Amino acid sequence: MGSVTLRNIRKSYGPVEVLHGIDLDVADGEFVVLVGPSGCGKSTLLRSLAGLETISAGDISIDDKVINGLEPKNRDIAMVFQNYALYPHMKVRENMAFSLKLNKVPKDEIESKVAKAAEILSLTAMLDRYPKQLSGGQRQRVAMGRAIVRDPKVFLFDEPLSNLDAKLRVQMRSEIKELHQRLGTTIVYVTHDQIEAMTMADKIVVMKDGHVEQIGAPLDLYDTPANLFVAGFIGSPSMNFMSCTAQGGKAVLSNGQVLGAAPAGLGEGQAFTAGVRPEHFVIGSGALDAPVTLVEPTGAEIQFTVDIAGDHVLITTRDRVTARLGDTLNLSVEPGKLHAFDPETGARLGGV
Amino acid sequence: MNPQPRPLYWIGLSIFGLVIATYVLFPIFWLFLASFKTTGELASLPLTFWPVAPTIEAYTALFDTTSQSSQILNWPRLISNSFLVSVSSTLIVLVFGTLAGYAFSRIQFPGRDLILGGLLISRMFQGAALLLPTYRLMNNLGLQDSLLGLTLLYSAFGLPFATWIIASSLREIPFELEESAMMDGASRLQCMVKIVLPLATPALITAAMWHFVGAWSEFAFASILMESSDSKTVTIGLASFVELFTIEFNRVGAAASLVAMPIMLVFFFGQRYFTRGLLAGAVKG
Repeated sequence: MGSVTLRNIRKSYGPVEVLHGIDLDVADGEFVVLVGPSGCGKSTLLRSLAGLETISAGDISIDDKVINGLEPKNRDIAMVFQNYALYPHMKVRENMAFSLKLNKVPKDEIESKVAKAAEILSLTAMLDRYPKQLSGGQRQRVAMGRAIVRDPKVFLFDEPLSNLDAKLRVQMRSEIKELHQRLGTTIVYVTHDQIEAMTMADKIVVMKDGHVEQIGAPLDLYDTPANLFVAGFIGSPSMNFMSCTAQGGKAVLSNGQVLGAAPAGLGEGQAFTAGVRPEHFVIGSGALDAPVTLVEPTGAEIQFTVDIAGDHVLITTRDRVTARLGDTLNLSVEPGKLHAFDPETGARLGGV
Repeated sequence: MNPQPRPLYWIGLSIFGLVIATYVLFPIFWLFLASFKTTGELASLPLTFWPVAPTIEAYTALFDTTSQSSQILNWPRLISNSFLVSVSSTLIVLVFGTLAGYAFSRIQFPGRDLILGGLLISRMFQGAALLLPTYRLMNNLGLQDSLLGLTLLYSAFGLPFATWIIASSLREIPFELEESAMMDGASRLQCMVKIVLPLATPALITAAMWHFVGAWSEFAFASILMESSDSKTVTIGLASFVELFTIEFNRVGAAASLVAMPIMLVFFFGQRYFTRGLLAGAVKG
């Protein structure tokens, strides 16, 4: 069991408030990813949950028990650190057994737990090595093993993959996800990489400047971003934004061209920021003519950068479109895929 | 950087080093050899370099409690005094230096870096400038001519530098290791004992060696503070020995060799850590 509830969490360093009242519910067994640009407070929030930082206000509960004042060791939480924080003077076996030894678990029980965790993580052959003799991925696994043996209520991961190379990162990503499915323990995971968040999470919490911008399932965030920030942050390549006015149910660009149908609920003449994901443009079937300024084939798709009303707009297509630099693309937006945001507040407008 | 070894440079440097080492060590070695000669051999011409008939007579004479000289200078007593003072002040410096070094490296408090830097400044003053005030101070405290007083004094003198060495090295141990240990269920003290101290061993050994050698060979303060023959240390013993037995160079040599022995042992076993510990501090000061 391990449900986590955060209520109005605030954290200040002197006069500077870095968390401005965070509310979050994590169900037992859920995989929640906190994501946001650096400095958004996601690591601070995680460390507050771990008990490594004190909070200025609010309540942190695990299984409905408030744990605000508890020492880290009394919270029944395990944490995997960004640089793994393996004890360099201990062998893998001792690293993994450390917490059990501190908690005076009987020796044979420690051995069986370590052996089991090592087997899950394919570390059995490494048990008598020192951390410095391991590769980055292996160290990462030892750090996870150290967490697993404790069988805690909640696992915390603080950017655990950022020190690995791209290929290993993808591999460890699926390993962590499989581990979660196997153990079923609640996980709170911090990353700045939205792809990690999208691929791993049951629920994503997008943070910015100490505020929660949106909480939701990965595809919900992708399909219905609550504001400009989430729209731009989630998705790679990211969403294109253009200034538009609603006229007769159409989204009209600043140069008078029609981008597409405006979402319902916008007032006539209302100015808004239109957002369209690169893959939601249809090439060759629209009223919008846009000159190509850059062509980038990636293999699976081709990325075109086009000029729409003075904005650089990125378009991706899986079709083998042969347009070249200087050609003009004929574009339209897939029905229902045009997002509207308030240019002032960034909040989502209309319904899609 | 030139990846090719430059043999001439290294040969030259080694020869230069050997010359310097010989120049410095020859008198000491000669004295060491002299300790195995008889007074007769030392006085006879031509001078011999290697002992003709090696004997440990000079050493046994030092420890002969019935002899007249041991009434004046009781060598077993001198040696045990020196050990007592050096070892206990080393322990004091290690315990308090570690605690202070941990605080300096882990706890944010106003003026932290200034105070840590100040610890080094305290080493810039010549000890001689402190002789008189220290003498007055120890007198007022009733700690003159007392081994306890000397131990406390050496600890006070050694603590700043030991703290600095230890703090510098602890700063290089990532705090995340301790946070990780705290998550694993360790208390602050357990973090220190089980995680930090094992990783700081080179610095602790360096600090201990540095202090032990300094305390063992300290002369000035011991000579003004320790008056009675029961409380004297080896360095004072050696100095008065030279005055008393100038003619008996074999005994002087034996005494000097004995006094130098602990320092040589300390460096022999600890030099690996010694350079490493000092360098660790040097890189990040």
